[in-house]
Amino acid sequence: MIFVNKKILVIILIAIANLHSQTLKDQFSYANELFNEGKYFDAITEFKRLQFFDSENQFSFQSNILIGKSYKAGAKFDDAIKYFTLAEISSRNDEEYFNSNILKARTNILRRTNHQAERILNELLVDTKFKSKENEIKYWLGWNLIFLDEWKKASKIFLENNLDTTLSNLCISVDDKMYSVNFAKYSSYVIPGFGQFYTGEYVSGLLSLSWNVFAGYLTVNSFIEDRVFDGIITANFLSMRFYSGNTQNAEKFALQKNLEISNKALNYLQFQFKGEKP
Amino acid sequence: MSNKIFFLLVVILFPIYGQQIDIHSPKNIKKFADFLFCDKDYLRAIDEYKKYLEVVNNDTIRFKIALGYSLINDQSNALQEFSSINNSSALYEQSRIEVLKSLSLSKSDSAFYLLANNLINSKSQFSNNAQRLLNTSILLNENELPDKNKFLIPFESDDKLLLGNYYDLKINPPYKSETVAGILSAIIPGSGKIYTEDYGDGITAFLLTGLFTYLAYTNFENDHQTRGWIFTALGAGFYAGNVYGSVASAQIFNAKVNFDFENGLKLFLEDKNFFTPAYDFCK
Repeated sequence: MIFVNKKILVIILIAIANLHSQTLKDQFSYANELFNEGKYFDAITEFKRLQFFDSENQFSFQSNILIGKSYKAGAKFDDAIKYFTLAEISSRNDEEYFNSNILKARTNILRRTNHQAERILNELLVDTKFKSKENEIKYWLGWNLIFLDEWKKASKIFLENNLDTTLSNLCISVDDKMYSVNFAKYSSYVIPGFGQFYTGEYVSGLLSLSWNVFAGYLTVNSFIEDRVFDGIITANFLSMRFYSGNTQNAEKFALQKNLEISNKALNYLQFQFKGEKP
Repeated sequence: MSNKIFFLLVVILFPIYGQQIDIHSPKNIKKFADFLFCDKDYLRAIDEYKKYLEVVNNDTIRFKIALGYSLINDQSNALQEFSSINNSSALYEQSRIEVLKSLSLSKSDSAFYLLANNLINSKSQFSNNAQRLLNTSILLNENELPDKNKFLIPFESDDKLLLGNYYDLKINPPYKSETVAGILSAIIPGSGKIYTEDYGDGITAFLLTGLFTYLAYTNFENDHQTRGWIFTALGAGFYAGNVYGSVASAQIFNAKVNFDFENGLKLFLEDKNFFTPAYDFCK
């Protein structure tokens, strides 16, 4: 009789423990449902509630990942990274460790802390445990280069092992459209206004050329007339001002145009690209 | 005998586990809300406390909701919640000084002065705190100040020295006159900027205006009309810019004096947490 009772007691205790575990599972499902419905604020609350009552940390990794994803979806990147790091700490195997780090890198890409993303991805890349994940790591390294405005390098990465030819072609086309900032600047040193013409700013180029010719004429004229001090001052305050202004202007136009090109490409990637994005 | 032990164990253990399982019970909601509050996730803590209040009427929770709103700088809701704490509550006095803080932060001046004077005259435990907050606010908002000694009475000795300096700055702000700066620069280019302590710009303005004036003069003297006019235009531009710049420099100087004064006092107030008491909700 005593033996039977002990068995019943154990069964009851297991049943109660399972009931507790079931409650946590239900809570996880509920929070997950909110997450899937895009109700990120509520999802975070429910995942945090789950973590609070999950004394044995059964759901620690999943809940941290999903809290991180919820924050990421709300563009709260700092909080997202905090929770992905907590997920990394609570990871139970290599797969979970890898996934949390990839999410951390992706969030860093979006947060524009690209060197941090690069460091995380490179650490994963050299880790022999993740040899089979090389393509995935490189894919995000490519995206990181896109956000660093290194379109040519990004296209090369996407081309490796035919990682993503669509992205590679897009990167090549963006890189082709980009203006050379150095060419715009230094060509303007040789012919004032040339850099502006190169970037399609014809009026500005013409004005720059005219001011430089005029200031140059005044400078030369002063020296011809033996008014050396006039010449020095004119050269310093007029010629140099227009000359250096012209090169700075050309550089600024090239940077501005490049920004427009890359923003247009990023806009396309954000709204029309069908593949996986950071 | 063993049946009795078994029965007893089930009776004891079941409620313990049962209690842990219901994570949405009022007690657990409160526990979770407390955790969120201490984790500084105030918005979520407020939501949870509100759920708890639907079941249990508790002034401490109401106070914590109000405090949460105040901490996320939602002063309108904070005022509403603090005001809901009635005078029979143990946290009534605290809520009144917190209302004063919220009124100060929401720049509701008339209500702030009314409540501050009420608190001071009511001889509550926070009367002195209210007096301190009122005096600091007077420094920030009012032009007429009470006598310095009277003004400094409610403060502790360390704060007296600091606030005494602010009091003096309020009475005699070290402003620079825009008119004087403009006139000085009109007479001697750059001197207006030196007056406003913008020494580098002052010397540059003096040298450039002088240089272009000299060049314009010698070019006209030697019948180089084109260059003469160019240097005249440049000299006139620098001269006009120097006068205008000196007036602007005086305005910027005065704005900086005001900014440093207000910023310093606001930092002092934040450091003192607006003279509100410290709470041990997260010990």
